[in-house]
Amino acid sequence: MIDRALDLELGFGFLSGPGGFNFSNQWLTGYDSNDSRLGAYGVGILNTVRLVLIGIVLTTILGVFAGVARLSDNWLVSRLATLYVETIRNTPLLIQIVIWYTVVFLQLPKIADAVNILDVFYLSNRALALPSLAANGAFGLWAIFLAIGAVAAFILRKWLLRREERDGESLHATTWGLALFVVLAVVTFIATGTPLEPNTPSLHVTDVGIRNITGGLQVSPEFAAVLIGLVIYTGAFIAEIVRGGIQALPRGQDEAATALGLSGYQRMTLIILPQALRIIIPPLTNQYLNLTKNSSLAVAIAYPEIIWVGTTIVNNIGRAVPVFLMIFATYLALSLAISVVMNSFNRRVQLAGR
Amino acid sequence: MNAPNALGVRGTRTVTPVSYRARRWARTQLFSSPANTALTVVAVTLLAFVLYTMLKFVFVDADWTIININRRLIFLGRFPQSEEWRVWPPMWLAMGLGGLSYGLLSRGSLRDLVWLAAAVVFILGFLAHGMNGLLFGGAVMFSIAGYGAGRMAGNRPQLRPRLGTVAIVGWLLIIPFTVILISAFGGVKPALWGGLLLNVLLAVIGIGVGLPLGILLALSRASSLPVLKGVSTAIIEVTRGGPLIAWLFIARFVLPAFIPDALQTDVIVNAMIIVSLFTAAYVAEIVRGGLQSIDKGQVEAAHALGMGAFHVTFFIVLPQAIRAVIPALVSQMIALWKDTTLFAVLGFTDALGGAQAAYSQSEFIGRQKEALLFIALLFWSVSFGMSRLSQRVEKALGLGER
Repeated sequence: MIDRALDLELGFGFLSGPGGFNFSNQWLTGYDSNDSRLGAYGVGILNTVRLVLIGIVLTTILGVFAGVARLSDNWLVSRLATLYVETIRNTPLLIQIVIWYTVVFLQLPKIADAVNILDVFYLSNRALALPSLAANGAFGLWAIFLAIGAVAAFILRKWLLRREERDGESLHATTWGLALFVVLAVVTFIATGTPLEPNTPSLHVTDVGIRNITGGLQVSPEFAAVLIGLVIYTGAFIAEIVRGGIQALPRGQDEAATALGLSGYQRMTLIILPQALRIIIPPLTNQYLNLTKNSSLAVAIAYPEIIWVGTTIVNNIGRAVPVFLMIFATYLALSLAISVVMNSFNRRVQLAGR
Repeated sequence: MNAPNALGVRGTRTVTPVSYRARRWARTQLFSSPANTALTVVAVTLLAFVLYTMLKFVFVDADWTIININRRLIFLGRFPQSEEWRVWPPMWLAMGLGGLSYGLLSRGSLRDLVWLAAAVVFILGFLAHGMNGLLFGGAVMFSIAGYGAGRMAGNRPQLRPRLGTVAIVGWLLIIPFTVILISAFGGVKPALWGGLLLNVLLAVIGIGVGLPLGILLALSRASSLPVLKGVSTAIIEVTRGGPLIAWLFIARFVLPAFIPDALQTDVIVNAMIIVSLFTAAYVAEIVRGGLQSIDKGQVEAAHALGMGAFHVTFFIVLPQAIRAVIPALVSQMIALWKDTTLFAVLGFTDALGGAQAAYSQSEFIGRQKEALLFIALLFWSVSFGMSRLSQRVEKALGLGER
């Protein structure tokens, strides 16, 4: 039982004291238990942010695909998408995350007998190792060239688009812009002397006979379980939003596009989705905020995001009030950041056609 | 008899229309283009894989003894055995009302009966055991009787609205009835509530307290008094700013420090208060949307008829506003039902906590799949049933169509 006086004690002085606990998951940082509690909280923020950012990207892709699939002319595909949405949406996210963790990822073999796929993927219950790219000293220079290439490609595309509008003829502005960027990226990649090197994981036997996986991108089963759970759960809600947005458009839009001879893919990407986006974005923003708040469920399987760090500190030394103030401030900041980005995006989409 | 009849008069169909229609259906729906054919092949493969895995697991690989042995743990947690009788009357009432509502709203399709039969098989197959079998059988009988009454009323116009009133009043009264019967008169204190019963009670109390409180918050946010408006806006926004799990930890770590010793209660009571407030904040935002959708003319017309502010709000504006947001309110109820599993993170033995306790027993190590999928199915069936019922209500009220 925590002492009441400690709980009510205000002030943030305790943050400079040593954390006294270690992290099973760290990203870009090397926190150890002697570092400050503020540092520990920072690691928690990074873990939450990583989860939220990757989650938002993946769940958007999944949700758009499932939403479009629900409206597919192919009966089987639309039924399958409905099955996905109705199953996932009506089951508690927490149970799904616990299932991904205990039934899927913890059941993988021990690290010594890791599942080896083509010598580049290693799956075990301690780490999932994926091939990745490692930057070396030349990366900074190449990054500068990349930025220059992006600006050049953007300017080229803008210029071509203006000519397209003037002449009324397609000049493939986006394709040329992309091509310029890719060519510049490849040329400078070779010129700066391969700033990125492939980094594939490999299974090693250490001197004392312990087998271990080194190299590559190593993901913990906790992170994988929470990420997959969040992505699949939120994707089901986004699918419904996408479906609703598309269905809200008058049928004439699709029919007129068909009459103009556009293919199914062109109809979807040029006519339907850009208009549907206006309806989709506000509720989509809401789902992103939900995903951010739902990332807190990671605490149930001890993935060290901010709630886990916060409750660990409270369990150690009390100070519940300032700790929860920090937690709420963090969620508020994250929500605001997402809202600001999505609102500016929303304004652009709304202006585009009106 | 031999000539095909264009009007399709009975007895003259000599072609085999079913196979023809099936072939045409398959051609247009599944194989209209190479890309579509490829999609079909992928979908069939995926479906076959999912079905095979599921069926093989359910009927071959799974060992359901973990559920049979831990039935009490999953459904009631540490609820004392001697007080178990308190659970049954609310359950019978709920089943009867569920059947009645379903019967009143259904159009008498075969699908309804299939769903109900599936529910009966599910309940008898998994839940019934010994003496409980009879009591569960009673619950099933109540639901069938309710369904029958609802369906029969469909043909009698004068009976239908009366039964509809019975259903609505029943649903409103079942909340206090359940809570009183379980906790009052030497009943069971909340710290001993457990299993799925805990989830049900949390959802019921959450919505029972959260709905009226949320409506009040929405009304005060729409009020013209700056203090009332400011305070309620602050409550709503701060509550919605953080995840529920953070609020539950606050109920455990922060709230006890602020409550004077004389009023200290169990952590679970604090958590219930927090869940109710959390629900109220979300309900308030939904109801606010409904309030904004009401035409100003409604208020002006009511004033012109000489109605006071109270009458205008509670008899003109609010009923229309709530009617417009019923689908969103049901979504919120489903969300609350699913969120009750978060109590497991706090260490309470709800259904999820019970399942986790079950697969940590030494004889059931490695049986996580069975336990977790079983409770996932429990939660799914309630959520799915609620969402279907709400679609029926929407249709019956003619929401979304003008």
